[in-house]
Amino acid sequence: MSGPVIEALAGSPDLAARYAAFRDAAHDALGPELVEAVRGAVAEVHGAPVEHAPGVAPEAVLAFARRMVFEHTAITDEEAAAVASELGEPGLVALSVVAALADAECRARAIDLPGLASA
Amino acid sequence: MSTIPRASSAIEGEPAHFGTVLAHKPELAEKFADLYGRFWDSDVLSARLKEVARMRNARVTECGFCRNVRFDKAVAEGLGEEVVDDITDDYENSPRLTEAEKAVLKFTDALIHDPDLLTGDAKAALRRHLSAEQIAELGLGVTLFLALAKALITLGLEPEQMDRTVLPTPAVPENAG
Repeated sequence: MSGPVIEALAGSPDLAARYAAFRDAAHDALGPELVEAVRGAVAEVHGAPVEHAPGVAPEAVLAFARRMVFEHTAITDEEAAAVASELGEPGLVALSVVAALADAECRARAIDLPGLASA
Repeated sequence: MSTIPRASSAIEGEPAHFGTVLAHKPELAEKFADLYGRFWDSDVLSARLKEVARMRNARVTECGFCRNVRFDKAVAEGLGEEVVDDITDDYENSPRLTEAEKAVLKFTDALIHDPDLLTGDAKAALRRHLSAEQIAELGLGVTLFLALAKALITLGLEPEQMDRTVLPTPAVPENAG
């Protein structure tokens, strides 16, 4: 388990474990290679370090993930349909959650949430 | 922003909304319900402060569904519409929001929008009003509010029209571990 939210929740192990289980379920739903690619694409937009070698993903998936950071309201039906065409409806659902969580975690890291939450 | 669902309901006979769409991945839906219920069930941070942060996130992310939902636990803790109406870009000048609520709003804006807003004074105010454990729980909450709002919007699950609706506060499912 790692990441700014889990680190910040060191004093609340029950919530930390449940957050980790949720994030793991999202990652399992998308698959490890796509998760790495999506998290890398999101981190790149944020200018954050990419923790692992970027995975391989269809361009429609990467474009959707990149736009999640600053342009989530501008993603079009066509762009979402292109993702669903590649991954299926369940894959689109998983991608939305994984990309949105990756974005939120980059933002939590940017404010040093673990440092703020340390006693 | 689309109000036409981009993913269908995975539960026969039910319309597409966040819960039924998430059900395309049952393990994901189950773990989300477990986490979100536990988060709202915890009283480390009051439901009122959580709801203040959720309302701010709803406004900034333009999540219409989130903006129109109120959770009853926060309402019972005195979060009325006259206070919610002050959660605008001018919240710092509100006479109705408490100093603790303003510190929470600054933190929320910093996490979801601009980390530079969390100046030394803003951090000091946050720590003056919230314990380390409360800040951690707030961080979890804002992370979830942001991610859920963005997922909901990008899945086309925004309602065309929606009245303000008070809902039961999410709770841990009975069959959860």
